[in-house]
Amino acid sequence: MAAANRGTFFSGAGLVWQWQRLVWWIFAVCLIFGLFSTHEMTERASSLLDHSAAAQRLVNGFDASAIMMLQQVPDSPLEIQGHNIVHFSLLFVVFMLFVTGGILAAYVLDEKPTSTAFFEAAGHHFWRFFRLFIYLAIVLLPIAGLAAFTSAMYTRIQEQSISPYPGDYFAETAAVVILLLLIIVRLWFDMTQVIAVADDEKKMHRALRRAFGLLRRNFFSLFWLYLRVSVIAWALFAFGLHIWMYHLKPQSNVTAFLISQLMIVIWIATRLWQRASEAIWYRNYQANQVPGPAWTPPPSPMYMPVAAEPQA
Amino acid sequence: MRLTKVFVLAAGVAIFCGPIFSQAAAIAAPANTAAKPLSTRVVAYQIEAKLDPTKHTIAASETLTYKNLTGQPQQTFPFHLYLNAFQPQSTFMTEVRLAGTRGNGPDSDWDPKHFGSITVDKLEVEGAGDLTNKMEFIHPDDKNTADRTVFQITLPKPIAPGASVEFHITFHDVLPKVVERTGYVRDFDMVGQWFPKVGVWWKNAWNCHQFHATTEFFADFGTFDVKITVPQNEIVGAGGDLVASTNNSDGTKTLTYHSEDVHDFSWTASPSFTVVEDSWTGSQGPVKIHLLISPGHMGSAQRYIDVQKGTLRLFDQWYGPYPYDRITMVDPPHGGIDAGGMEYPTLITLGTSVHMPQGVLEPEIVTEHEFGHQYWYGMVATNEFEEAWLDEGINSYTEVKVMDALYGKNTSAVNFPFAQISETGMQQIGYLADPDKDPICRFAWKFINNDSYGGITYGKTALVLLTLEKVIGEDTLRQALHTYFMRFRFTHPTGEDFLKTIEEVSGKDLRWYFNQAIYGTQVLDYSLADAHSDPLKWWDAPAHASKKDDKDEVYRTYVTVVRKGDFVFPVDVDIKFDDGSTAVEHWDGQDRWMRYQYDRKAKIQSAQIDVHDQIPLDRDSFNNSFTEESDPRAAHKLRTIWVFASEWLSQLLAWLT
Repeated sequence: MAAANRGTFFSGAGLVWQWQRLVWWIFAVCLIFGLFSTHEMTERASSLLDHSAAAQRLVNGFDASAIMMLQQVPDSPLEIQGHNIVHFSLLFVVFMLFVTGGILAAYVLDEKPTSTAFFEAAGHHFWRFFRLFIYLAIVLLPIAGLAAFTSAMYTRIQEQSISPYPGDYFAETAAVVILLLLIIVRLWFDMTQVIAVADDEKKMHRALRRAFGLLRRNFFSLFWLYLRVSVIAWALFAFGLHIWMYHLKPQSNVTAFLISQLMIVIWIATRLWQRASEAIWYRNYQANQVPGPAWTPPPSPMYMPVAAEPQA
Repeated sequence: MRLTKVFVLAAGVAIFCGPIFSQAAAIAAPANTAAKPLSTRVVAYQIEAKLDPTKHTIAASETLTYKNLTGQPQQTFPFHLYLNAFQPQSTFMTEVRLAGTRGNGPDSDWDPKHFGSITVDKLEVEGAGDLTNKMEFIHPDDKNTADRTVFQITLPKPIAPGASVEFHITFHDVLPKVVERTGYVRDFDMVGQWFPKVGVWWKNAWNCHQFHATTEFFADFGTFDVKITVPQNEIVGAGGDLVASTNNSDGTKTLTYHSEDVHDFSWTASPSFTVVEDSWTGSQGPVKIHLLISPGHMGSAQRYIDVQKGTLRLFDQWYGPYPYDRITMVDPPHGGIDAGGMEYPTLITLGTSVHMPQGVLEPEIVTEHEFGHQYWYGMVATNEFEEAWLDEGINSYTEVKVMDALYGKNTSAVNFPFAQISETGMQQIGYLADPDKDPICRFAWKFINNDSYGGITYGKTALVLLTLEKVIGEDTLRQALHTYFMRFRFTHPTGEDFLKTIEEVSGKDLRWYFNQAIYGTQVLDYSLADAHSDPLKWWDAPAHASKKDDKDEVYRTYVTVVRKGDFVFPVDVDIKFDDGSTAVEHWDGQDRWMRYQYDRKAKIQSAQIDVHDQIPLDRDSFNNSFTEESDPRAAHKLRTIWVFASEWLSQLLAWLT
């Protein structure tokens, strides 16, 4: 099983690489939304900073108090930061909800994702995945409850413990557990989406049940598959942040922009890697199913014709 | 305390105190003698207290000997009972609900644990008998009859000038769960403002305010002899010298402390403290540094010690000697941060956390700030109720100076490779939160809200003094603070005493500045509204076209400066031209705007107000300059961060799909 899983792991990466056009398209939309959401802020910042000598506080270093001062000035570029970004992020969520069907169709069917096929699949699965989105929200509720519970427990431990460490260790452990639970939930719902696309399953609750059954029977291999990719994603993200924050010169704007965007590309690619791996796993799973013995008519009874009773 | 030894060991007095008095004589020329106390000792407290660390209660008795130095007979005496502030209907809590307070505030998760109280069980006056029934709660600041933070007692007969009166008070405290500088958390007890404290006869009247959400304290100098009884496993720190320690047969121990020329006494106890001892030697000899560290905070111990030594050195060098022989530093445990960041004479409380990054200089700032209060509050004992800027504001200014000197001007608050915050920047952030509602000189409890109180009292005062450096010079202001300290230490000076000292030392009439900065709410904001160059013969288009690159082309340059705020302050405008020539204009700022005009064979390159960044009181430094050449790098940097944040949020939310 491990060997097969390893194959799936790398095949998933290969699939993402093979159809990397999907990654670049998603990234392009994400970037465009990002630019749109921050356009007005950037314009205002330009009008305040481009001809101001005080802007050097942000150029030759990053004086965070200058940012806070910017927040206080009339026509502050930061006045509009929050809601614009949130609006465009929500729009991106809708976009991803739409294109997920197309992406999975490409991965499940292992066919070149032409525009027509892609958008047909996207539209075909949109409302199904929207319903699944609502199911996900319901499933996340107990996890949110668990998070609230651990938060209360953390407060209780902190109040009672002389040392701050038990509370901190508990919080860190709880965070890891919750993160793992979230990965499992995502794994489950991703499998549901794969089933929905692969088998054209219309009933999402039925797809959820089937995915749950599959997950239960193959938990460790599937979870290990997802966990590895998640660890790679977070490690690369942390590495990118480290380079950006600690090793770039304050004036290196272009490099900073490229690194930040590379981090986003990698994040998108690793997420698709998970989806592609799962799609391949499901394909393999289906292919490996031993078909049930075909029906054959029962053999004719072996009997001798009975002689007619002698007539009385 | 070293001064105790001075007065006990007469033979060593001259040698020991010589440097103190020689330095004092150099500045303020007080007629001190070696035998004379440093302060006018009005009060002498003898307190015996027993802590119940399980119930967090204190049973105590107090003998207060009050010497009537008011110059007139006194019959009525007001006393503070600060711990009664922690009652739901107190003035303190009413103000907290209205306008906030420091820290989390006791109302954020109010429960009975936040109740605190002090009850006087018995009050006797020597020669007058039991006067408990004569106690009367008063409300000098408001009409809140539910407030029980001040009471007064009227004696049967007045105390003659120069005579003394002895009060014997039996009382008990219930400490609140830690809030507003005092209280308990788990096995930690911070015992501050815990005993009946007599008011101050000041400006020919009793000054004894109720406890407010934003106010601190005011008291007379004197001596304290305090016996504290605690279980033997408790580690105790206190604002005095430990002169005796006795183990009792009931498993407790009694620690005897003595302190003099101070106006308050606080202490702390916890069995979980780790004690770190160090010392520093200054112009007056060695000072013991006694650090009590809470569990999990040892990572900050050396940081506390280092900044404490650096601060001692610079205060000693810049403002005057530290005359005590000890400083006790208390690091509150996790969950007890509301007891942190507080000053008492020779005892300060700090603040850190388990995972405090090296780049966040919070432990350093808190330590520096609270130690600074040993000067601006501890020795120069101003009225914190009425003129909080004299302790918090001046102290914030010296905090900037010390932190900048120790940790670098641009990195004195936050210092990471990717982001920095200066101390000046911190003060600006605080000030700009609410810059124009209240004047600095307002009574502390009369600010519109806690933000305004904090921003104005701490931030604005610091910025006012930093900006004043431009007017009189940094060295002159330092000398003025030195003079102010040496002249007014161990007294109760007023704001005018401070301002007049600055005028005297600088030799300048600064009323125009103080009237706006201290007594007014004007905001200082200058703007470089316009700067551009036009060909002088603009109508001569063909000639102009042919002279496009001609160095003989004459341009008319206009530079317009606008005073956007109501604060009038003289500014310098530096103008640079593209041939390398410059012009410097000095504008008195009286009018709302000023336009300068130049006819030169050069175009403008840049124009800038306050080119040396000497006016931190200016609320918007981004509009102080104009550069002809656009430099979009700052905006690009912000855009990179914002776009990344937007994309990252999108990715996180997209996880749901």
